[in-house]
Amino acid sequence: MPNVTPPSSKYKLIGKNYTTGDLYAKVTGKAKYAEDYRADGMLFCKLALSPMPHARVRGIDARAALAMPGVKAILTADELPAPANSINDNGTVILANPRGYQALTNEPLFQGQPILAVAAIDELTAAEAIEKIKIDLEPLPFVVDPLATLRPGGPNARTDGNAWVRLPPPPPKPGERPALTPPELQTVKWTSQDFEEAKQGRLPTGKPTEEWHVGDVDAGLKNAALVLDETFVTPNTSHQCLETRSTMAYWQNGKVYVHTGTQSTAQTVPAIARWLGVDVSNVVFISEYTGGGFGSKITGDITLVIPALLAKKTGAPVMMRITREEENFIGRGRPSLHGRMKVGFSKEGRITALDMYVICDNGPYDMVGDAFSSGRIVSVLYQPQAMRWRSVTVLTNTPPRSAQSSPGGMQGIAIMEPVLAKAARKLGVDQVAIRRINAPEGKAPFGPLTAGKQQYATSAFIKEALDRGAEQFKWNERKVNTGKRNGSKVRGVGVSMSTYSGGTTGFDGLFIIKPDGKVYIQSGVGNLGTESWTDVHRVVAELLGVPWEKCELTWGNTSKNLPWTCPSGGSQTTHAMTRAAHAVASDGILKLQQIAAKDLGGKPEDYVVANERVSRKGGGAGMSLAQAAQRAIKLGGVYDGHELPKDINNFTVVSATALSGQGLMAVAKDKYPHDGNTFSFVATFAEIEADVETGQYHILDFLAYADVGTVLHPRALGGQILGRSILGIGHTLGQKWVYDQQYGLPVSKRFHHTKPPTILDIPDKMAWAAVEIPDPETPIGSRGIGEPPVGGGCAAILNALSDALGDEVFRRAPVTSDVILASLEAGRPAQDPLRSNI
Amino acid sequence: MADHELTDPGCSHSNNSNLISRRDVIKSVIATGVVSSTSYLFRVSKVWAQASAPGAVDRLITLNVNGQQRRVDVMKQETLVMTLRYKLGLTGTKIGCDQAECGACTVLIDDVPYYSCSVFTHTVRDRKIQTIEGLAKPDGTLHPVQQGVIDEQGFQCAFCMSGFLMATVGFLKINPNPTRAELAKGISGNLCRCQDYDKILTAMMRGAENLRKA
Amino acid sequence: MAVIHDVIPAFELFQPTSVDDALALQARHGAKAWVLAGGLDSFDWFKDRIKRPEVVIDLSQVKELRGVRQAGDGLEIGAMTTLTEVVRHPMIREKYGILPNAAEAAASPQIRNQGTIGGNVSQDARCWYYRGGWPCYRAGGNICYADTPAGLNREHAILDANRCVAVNPSDTAPALIALDAKFVVRTPKGERVVDAENYFIGPGTDITRMTILQPGDLLTSIRIPSTWAGAQFFFEKVRDRAVWDFALVNVAAAMVMSGGTIQRIRLAANGVAAHPVRLTAVEAAVVGKQCNEETAEMAGKLAIQGAQPLQYNGYKVPLLRNLVKRAIRGEAA
Repeated sequence: MPNVTPPSSKYKLIGKNYTTGDLYAKVTGKAKYAEDYRADGMLFCKLALSPMPHARVRGIDARAALAMPGVKAILTADELPAPANSINDNGTVILANPRGYQALTNEPLFQGQPILAVAAIDELTAAEAIEKIKIDLEPLPFVVDPLATLRPGGPNARTDGNAWVRLPPPPPKPGERPALTPPELQTVKWTSQDFEEAKQGRLPTGKPTEEWHVGDVDAGLKNAALVLDETFVTPNTSHQCLETRSTMAYWQNGKVYVHTGTQSTAQTVPAIARWLGVDVSNVVFISEYTGGGFGSKITGDITLVIPALLAKKTGAPVMMRITREEENFIGRGRPSLHGRMKVGFSKEGRITALDMYVICDNGPYDMVGDAFSSGRIVSVLYQPQAMRWRSVTVLTNTPPRSAQSSPGGMQGIAIMEPVLAKAARKLGVDQVAIRRINAPEGKAPFGPLTAGKQQYATSAFIKEALDRGAEQFKWNERKVNTGKRNGSKVRGVGVSMSTYSGGTTGFDGLFIIKPDGKVYIQSGVGNLGTESWTDVHRVVAELLGVPWEKCELTWGNTSKNLPWTCPSGGSQTTHAMTRAAHAVASDGILKLQQIAAKDLGGKPEDYVVANERVSRKGGGAGMSLAQAAQRAIKLGGVYDGHELPKDINNFTVVSATALSGQGLMAVAKDKYPHDGNTFSFVATFAEIEADVETGQYHILDFLAYADVGTVLHPRALGGQILGRSILGIGHTLGQKWVYDQQYGLPVSKRFHHTKPPTILDIPDKMAWAAVEIPDPETPIGSRGIGEPPVGGGCAAILNALSDALGDEVFRRAPVTSDVILASLEAGRPAQDPLRSNI
Repeated sequence: MADHELTDPGCSHSNNSNLISRRDVIKSVIATGVVSSTSYLFRVSKVWAQASAPGAVDRLITLNVNGQQRRVDVMKQETLVMTLRYKLGLTGTKIGCDQAECGACTVLIDDVPYYSCSVFTHTVRDRKIQTIEGLAKPDGTLHPVQQGVIDEQGFQCAFCMSGFLMATVGFLKINPNPTRAELAKGISGNLCRCQDYDKILTAMMRGAENLRKA
Repeated sequence: MAVIHDVIPAFELFQPTSVDDALALQARHGAKAWVLAGGLDSFDWFKDRIKRPEVVIDLSQVKELRGVRQAGDGLEIGAMTTLTEVVRHPMIREKYGILPNAAEAAASPQIRNQGTIGGNVSQDARCWYYRGGWPCYRAGGNICYADTPAGLNREHAILDANRCVAVNPSDTAPALIALDAKFVVRTPKGERVVDAENYFIGPGTDITRMTILQPGDLLTSIRIPSTWAGAQFFFEKVRDRAVWDFALVNVAAAMVMSGGTIQRIRLAANGVAAHPVRLTAVEAAVVGKQCNEETAEMAGKLAIQGAQPLQYNGYKVPLLRNLVKRAIRGEAA
């Protein structure tokens, strides 16, 4: 194992490695993912995809296809339910965006958008039927470059606009629930003068659609010892989960059964209900295993309505196998950000002012928050004394985006870190020192002023991560390698900070102690490989003092009665669900104490729960958990789930009600206090060797030192830290999209074009470690970790590259051998940073 | 494609699964030893070889999969991964890209790792095919490399796992005692999008060690 | 443009067991027939439903096309010999180490286990427009999309382009040219043996083909003469990812030295033109020269003479130059 900090000793289970309950099924091939399900009479569907980047469907002639033997049904956009509003846990109505992404369309806004689907008795027939369908398309104007659409007279991605603008929510009308309105579609054009700067390779900064500021940026820049003004562009990248979003669906007794991948089991149910226009109670969702999500399957994917509706139409189960190429189109992507940073530094390297401008390449559909997040993350991570953030979120005729691990955070850090690295070189300040002097600490403030105040973090121990990481990486010894030549090879070292939100609050826990003495824990967390679906429940066993082997987890099937759970995205789960686990374990303990007191006398607080018993403090009377479970059934009421707390989510109420009467039921909502916004942090270190004759480079060594509070499960944590680091590294090494602007079409459709990293693109041994200082604002002290390593991995390699090769080599990511070689040859950055998707 | 006939006169039962019950299928399988041609994914097509042509191919073939002889009706253009997943029910082998670029479909053919998405089933008649389902012993004892995954909590989402396992088992047959770097090279034809490469290598090295001890 | 992927249209499959049977099938079905070796190039075309042959002739059962034999002083490698067999073969490794190096760099382990030497040298261009089903020159149309003002041509040709700017992607091809290999082709008229560099054709000769093979022809083996056995070899492939990706540029060289002087040399590059390029001008210029940095510089400059970069592939010029310099220096990457 790498350099794991010894887990906390105060716990028996928390912080210890163990074998997760799904591993045997995975390792033997028995684990069923969506496409592994079969049903009698199962049909197959295939999609007809738009060949154009923007068009209107004038007519569909499916007669020849429908006449084919074996073709059962066709589904078009006209048959989809209308977009429906949703309600969040606070009771706020989220109004549906009529311009939001739908599973099928009559106005495709990117090449590869599904227009219709055909169900047939086998896939070959469905494919041939699709080829026989004539779709009459009227080509419409398109744009695949976010800057091109901002130019005077530039084309718009939609007929009615080219930019999303978020509006402040309207005040709720008396007696009505507060509502969140979708962003407004506007047409934003900049002037020719705005674009003058582009000629020098600097990002033009025309009128923004959103902005905030805190402090006096102009004064901060004026008083700075050094001001840098840098343009940097991050790539569009697809999530490319290894499992595509294939779905199998059927209807039985009025209920729809859906098998597909998701990041969040419980949260996917209302999404399916909303997309299909059915009641939540009529949705059964099965997803025990999901082949990766990374933000693209937070609540499954709306494409699942296609087989579900075809199944309804044909009265037969329908399997929709999504191909890799289709996944490239509909599988979502991280938006590219064009960034410009004007940063003032004191001579010690402290950031006196930071003026940030980002243009987000949103794709044609629902607005992503990457531009907004990028500003927030840069603000919390570098603690500028004054900051202004401006942005435009621009629509292009490219595949729809969604959150991808560290949405906006990764891009913001990738744009900012090279500036910090350059400043350190110019000021003669050590790279670790310049980060330390700007790093957040404690209840670090961030973001814009709300009611005169900034928000703040719950805690931040990244300085500890930087210090310990620098020591473990032997930073001071390695940094002398900078620029060291060996023939055509040159060494460089890089360090980066990173952060992202690390958790939410307010979800439910549910378990039953049954008369067999076992604890039956219900998990609504999605199983997408992070292991949080099981790790968070170790808290229950820990607090109850029950061996893990006596805990049975139920997950991945909503007919099995699961509690309301956070969406697994944005590194929420570890934090949110250890809190829920703590709350429900406390509820269980209290009920055990009450039952013991009822039967054996004394007060509940006279009893302790440990070693599978509830017993009187200091010895004496007690009962086993099995006995307590039997008593709970006899007592009924709150003890076996016949009476439920008033504050739990209705989703949990339904599940708990179905499970009542089987034993001692613990069910509770996390209502623990929580002062601040939860962030996790990581300090990342890398050494690389570049070859100036070929432009190729290799990562020699890598360390990610994380501040995630209490460690739950070291091996799973290490997997997350290094796995997400490599996801970020991929953005430096080569991941990208390539679009032909003349035709508005992608030419990068294969992995050998889009370049997800292979096992040989990274060192065969990488290191990780954790600071392990518990977060003070959450009972177990654990925060999430999925997102923060991404920006760190990307930027540490960028910084190591500029350390080796100088500041005049790249202005964008990825940094591939052609970029390096051409720039070294030219003696200046040779690639136009402002062109997209090249 | 001119031919859209759905039934195959050369076959004993219809391929339209709506017309026959599961029990009928099971009976017919028992009776003939043939895996049902009422496959989910493929219809029976009437494109037939001319019997006289040298090298003409019969659709009904026998495959040796995980030590069992399986009679199966295979279309000419059918890939091995489809036969395994949709005709033989061996869904442990995954389709990640279907383009020989990810390795999720890796199986062993005569102990050598192949991308089963890029092998025509007809080319592996009379060869020994092993899938993830054939790794553990019939009593459930895991293969030492599978045990390595358990020992080290290897992999995250695990969609790539069966491919990685088969590639590793194949590689260890020619290099049972690799360094970490050698192993990485040996299994470099497999992609993990969770990018759990570090932990995968640890698990596979452990598996190699388990195998040497076994 | 293809709409459906990963569902292969039906075809008739033949699995001959001899070269004669294979040739007879090819003769019978003519242009309707598709000859399948390892299949890794073919599968892409089939799954994308761009190429829809009525008949596929699978060579996997033709034993005589497989294996490595001693042939005179040299070796003869059957066209259906897998890249793995080439990588591992002791005779090839001992005397012709450049070929295993190139074969190993060509592809992932699984692809090497299946892909053949004959297939690797005969594979089609990988231009993303052409392979994406765009109706370009090579696909029978009248435009090269990669060579338009907005064309994306980072991976395209800097030499010998003629309407089409695609490159030949093979890694083993330049190594075989460096070894002065001979390609044995069976045609309806009989056997033909061609020098490695003459096996490949550019768009000026036929824009739809990469090699001299016409319908009905079959590459049966590759002969490696002993001329370059044990020479000083160089092979380097520069690519984006360490696995799967095709060469941006690769360079192969075989060199015989005497007292620090280059006695004889064969030098070839790929990824720079629609065919692997034998750098004869460089060869001629460096023979008799001292193997030093000055000669390397001169060789590098000569190698890129006449290079015509497109908008996004200018880096290939210094890359080719530098790789040729390295080849002369004799340093492996």
